[in-house]
Amino acid sequence: MRTATAVAAPIEAHGHNHWSPYVDNGGTTLAIAGEDYVLVASDTRQSDGYAINSRYEPKAFVLSNNAVLGTSGCVADAKRLCEVLEQRAQLYQHKHDRQISTPALARLLSNTMYNRRMLPYYVFPVLAGLDSEGRGAAYAYDAIGSMERVTNSCFGSAETLIQPFLDNQVARNNQRGADPERLLTRQEALKIAIDAFTSATERDIYTGDYLEIFIIDAAGVHKETRELKHD
Amino acid sequence: MFLTRSEYDRGVNTFSPEGRLFQVEYAIEAIKLGTTAIGIRTGEGALLAVEKRITSPLLVADSIEKILEIDGHVACAMSGLTADSRTMIEHARVEALNHTFSYQEPIPVESVTQAVCDLALRFGEGADGQESTMSRPFGVALLIAGVDERGPQLYHTDPSGTFLRYEAKAIGAGSEGAQSALQEQYHRDISLADAEVLALKVLKQVMEEKLSNTNVQLAKVTKEAGYQIYTTDELQAVISRM
Amino acid sequence: MDPVTLELPHTLQRPGHAVAQEPMTRPAGPIVTGTSVVAFKYRDGIIMAADCLASYGSLARFRSENRLFKVNETTLLGAAGDMGDFQYMKHKLEDVMTHEYDMDDGQRLGTKSVYKCLSNIMYGRRTAINPLWNAYVVGGVDGGERVLGYVDLYGTTYTADAVATGFGKQIAIPMLRRRVEGRADEISEEEAVAILDDCMRVLFYRDCRALNKLRRAKVTAQGVEISEPYSLETNWTYAESIVGYGA
Repeated sequence: MRTATAVAAPIEAHGHNHWSPYVDNGGTTLAIAGEDYVLVASDTRQSDGYAINSRYEPKAFVLSNNAVLGTSGCVADAKRLCEVLEQRAQLYQHKHDRQISTPALARLLSNTMYNRRMLPYYVFPVLAGLDSEGRGAAYAYDAIGSMERVTNSCFGSAETLIQPFLDNQVARNNQRGADPERLLTRQEALKIAIDAFTSATERDIYTGDYLEIFIIDAAGVHKETRELKHD
Repeated sequence: MFLTRSEYDRGVNTFSPEGRLFQVEYAIEAIKLGTTAIGIRTGEGALLAVEKRITSPLLVADSIEKILEIDGHVACAMSGLTADSRTMIEHARVEALNHTFSYQEPIPVESVTQAVCDLALRFGEGADGQESTMSRPFGVALLIAGVDERGPQLYHTDPSGTFLRYEAKAIGAGSEGAQSALQEQYHRDISLADAEVLALKVLKQVMEEKLSNTNVQLAKVTKEAGYQIYTTDELQAVISRM
Repeated sequence: MDPVTLELPHTLQRPGHAVAQEPMTRPAGPIVTGTSVVAFKYRDGIIMAADCLASYGSLARFRSENRLFKVNETTLLGAAGDMGDFQYMKHKLEDVMTHEYDMDDGQRLGTKSVYKCLSNIMYGRRTAINPLWNAYVVGGVDGGERVLGYVDLYGTTYTADAVATGFGKQIAIPMLRRRVEGRADEISEEEAVAILDDCMRVLFYRDCRALNKLRRAKVTAQGVEISEPYSLETNWTYAESIVGYGA
């Protein structure tokens, strides 16, 4: 993990002339899509090197069309990306007199990110909402806007810990006799998200403090907050 | 209207003391010189029908195109100074494709219509730093037919940039007669097949020439198949049902 | 990285380099710097402290610099990092406040608005790869609500009960975690001052770029109050027991 240069550190420390505009503020986000719902979970710790900036600084945002944008990477970029996306969703609403759909917003996010190809948003977002048939839809992106619709995804500092777990428990990879097509029920998804974060918190110093879980279904967005270890 | 005409009809950017823009009104008049075009909305899809004036037996009828595709789910018919529609349709097509690029979904029909109308008043000298595409108002009216999640729709646009939604609308030289005929015979739950016959019947009433499968054009936009223009055979089949 | 290279005039040579042989590229990094700012929430509002030193590298260059700035009646700004960039930001915020005053509409920019404005400037500059080399702490009372936020040269922003910059992040925050976090509402002004002074004392002991002459400020419903410089009582007798110190 890259760490920010201490701002007030003695000047001698800046012997080099190269300054990187990016910081990795750690943290983890995951999404699991089901038949008629989609779940997004993010921890709320924000770090800068070995320092914890804040124990509660959410990195998943509810957008006006009831989609949720989960982020990880550089918080400055993540917050701006979210503002830009929300603004464009509002403009869509004004222009076309209807709420933007999640698939349309997914494409818009891809374009928004690719437009900054030369100075990318250092963000790895997952966008979650319902598609036109009411099914759970999760979209995963890289920092320059490459996009894929997925049934599960995890990004951030505990990505390498959680993704293999999701591959096995959600996509049922390497499970003999399991049906890889079967989507998780809400209770299953919730349990897996909680287990994933509790375990990741034990091993990843950048993940912890609180867990915010969003479940999106036809009724709207339901949010619950749980405690993670503060160490 | 011509009684109050004065010097105020010379500039495109000058209101008359009565608050009128004569050049725009004249442009609307120009449409009444155009061939008749009809649009009918049904529950199954929207229909467009136009007449072609075959002014000479040496004229290749196929070369007259008055119904054009804007996107897979939107089409338009025109009347008036049809060359002016080039700019508008080009703009509409770009808007539709841009929308699909940005959002990976077809553009709503009303949004295409709005986009076309945004062009209508960009004439004259233009404000500082703003390019205007035309020196005068467009001399063409459009009937825009399309299908989106709100179902089949029909819009009418005129040179003032106003657009209105219709169940059935006629424009062009025979529009007065055609509109009252439509008013009498249109009903909300008309089938697409009946609408085809109604459109041609009304067109036939107002056409000077005898209606045939070469001097009219018919197109429909349905949810299932999108924009489809009728072939000569398909047109003939409708004519024989009249 | 901007490819433009430029020679600094000899008066602006980077400290630590005897001669300015080395060509520099923009961004140059900070020149005259201030160290930690420490702030936290307490019962009546926000309390904040910063010392009066502006260093030129390891040289304690300016010893009566004010790094706490009253933005408006309800908002306090503390700055670490480059003092030139801080002065620029003060001018910029003054412009914004003057503009607001000129509107004469009875509206005041709340702390949250000032914080957002500041964050946008910082994010804009980092995105232009021309950052303002600072870390700022914004404190205030906005509509009865205490606001305490941080923004740095990357545009990173966060709010917390206790916020500190630079060395203060390493030294003061662990102390504040124990004494403030979760009990901000119970802390009286008297206790807040004691906690803050303890933090600043430890910082003075351990931070070579700190000075035992500092200002303290508070924002309450009554407004912003910045103290005159004062010193903390220190005790260096223990140093005598350290092998290698002095005798």
